[in-house]
Amino acid sequence: MNLPLEHTALAVVGAGPAGLCAAVEAARSGVPVVVLDENERAGGQLFKQVHRFFGSRRHGAGKRGYEIADDLIAECLRAGVDIRLGSSVIAFFPEGELMVDGPGGVYLVRPQAVVIATGASEKTIAFPGWTLPGIMGAGAAQTLVNVHGVLPGKRVLIAGAGNVGLIVSYQLLQAGADVVGIVEASHGVSGYEVHLDRVRREGVPIYPGHRIISARGRDGLEAVVVKDLRGGRTVLFEADSLCMAVGMSPMAELAAMRGCRMVFREELGGFLPWHDEKMRAGLQGVYVAGDAAGVEEASVAMEEGRMSGISAAEEMGSMKKRQAAARRAAVSRRLADLRRGPYGEARMAAKCSLYCA
Amino acid sequence: MGESGDIDEIWRRAEGGAVAILDCREEIPCDPCEAVCARGAIVVGKNVCDLPRYDPGLCNGCGRCVAICPGMAIYLLDRSSRDGGARLTLPYEMKEEIKAGDEVWALDEDGSPLGKGKVVKTAKMNKRDHSLLVTVDVPEEWALKVRGVRIRVMSIGEPLEVRGCQREEDHLLCRCEEISRSQAREYAAMGFNSLRALRRFSRVGLGYCQGRFCQAMLVDEFSTAAFRDREGVGVFKVRPPVRPVKLGRLGGENG
Repeated sequence: MNLPLEHTALAVVGAGPAGLCAAVEAARSGVPVVVLDENERAGGQLFKQVHRFFGSRRHGAGKRGYEIADDLIAECLRAGVDIRLGSSVIAFFPEGELMVDGPGGVYLVRPQAVVIATGASEKTIAFPGWTLPGIMGAGAAQTLVNVHGVLPGKRVLIAGAGNVGLIVSYQLLQAGADVVGIVEASHGVSGYEVHLDRVRREGVPIYPGHRIISARGRDGLEAVVVKDLRGGRTVLFEADSLCMAVGMSPMAELAAMRGCRMVFREELGGFLPWHDEKMRAGLQGVYVAGDAAGVEEASVAMEEGRMSGISAAEEMGSMKKRQAAARRAAVSRRLADLRRGPYGEARMAAKCSLYCA
Repeated sequence: MGESGDIDEIWRRAEGGAVAILDCREEIPCDPCEAVCARGAIVVGKNVCDLPRYDPGLCNGCGRCVAICPGMAIYLLDRSSRDGGARLTLPYEMKEEIKAGDEVWALDEDGSPLGKGKVVKTAKMNKRDHSLLVTVDVPEEWALKVRGVRIRVMSIGEPLEVRGCQREEDHLLCRCEEISRSQAREYAAMGFNSLRALRRFSRVGLGYCQGRFCQAMLVDEFSTAAFRDREGVGVFKVRPPVRPVKLGRLGGENG
């Protein structure tokens, strides 16, 4: 097997908010950067987000997700970043080489440093009937509606009242589907109140303390059986689609393959590569950022991306120590702000437990 | 005065024309309303998680905050019309088109229709998408209740009660290699207590998805069944390729 080999300074895997921000930071300080992404469009999950984002103005708040993606891509291109789409990184060898399956064939890249910003994958729950057509992850439903213009169903039941479940419910309503309810196994809604208000004012009932027992149907989903955990009542929702928004886990197989130590943190979505405050993953020239380093949100991903880009640029000698320290301090402050409040504290504590371990 | 402005003051000021009402109650990281308000009526300040402080006395009813608020938590109230009704301006992003002259459903915070209102005008929120600011006339008693307008109201009905005990059925956990929950429990009872050991024996996680679907569920199942913490159960060893690839491509073909 004699595959073409190319050398580069920094390779960023994943062109989502974290990867693009990492690329911009490094490229602006003069590091040649290649970004590799398996999708046909850059932006990661941003390009299918049609809702306006929270966050501070710095993170594009008030803009819609795809607009934020367009801005980041433009910044990258201005900084001279080489963004390669349709390019899956299929291996990250312990010797430090990446294997890429790209439009021109399979080739190897030997970078001086790598930022792993591969995002997260959706969790799922299993119950009798969960493999019926019509049952899918909420992210898949979002792709159908917002990218392909197809409704997953006419009557949709949502499992999970976190932000993803609430946002996807709203987007299904926007696209013309009826949302027959949002069932949530825990006793409260974990998403932002503003997201909740938006679906409530469209008449979507919320069922906290309800667990899915089974799904029924012949050729596809026809009904979902749900148990009320408090009253013991069992009810049946007629629905032709069930979208599961039951959390995400970091997608960091490449880090694991490279030899990074994987640790478990419930608050951050499960197993993730250990890393420090500078987003170094414990091995020379390996950085992680964004949801791959613990599932949070897009603005945090952007800041972690910047952090990893700064660290990589410094260690490659393209950014002076003092300048890097100053820039990192600014990013740290913004990250601390984003992890404040009732929603951020648990994530902050989980991240700190990594840095201190 | 509350953070979101004194409602009596807002009510009074609305007699003279449109004034914003903020329904922002939760500390989340968000501040675009502060930036668009040219009058400085909305201040979030240094900490992006703080609630906005709103001074209705400074509001001129321009509606920019209504258009920018990602939570759709701001709207305008105008009570200046002589016939005593209330004129509301609300954000609208649904697929069904709304235009001036339409009769639309006015919905309260629970999505219950209060009744119909008449659309006075619509304005595009921005140049980039189809979202609208809809101005609608409603009876005065709804003035502080209406939270949304719709052309079509969902009729979804109530879920049906199911009688009788639900029998626990078996089902798949790993759909690529077809390993069921009961099989996974049997493996745990046989003494397998890590995912790596189980994979060698059962092929779980070796299918098309390479464990992306099932790994988290298997970790949970095994840590419960084998009384081990999750880091002890561990994750699958990751081997290349992490995405399906044709063997020919690895040999240099491009097709």
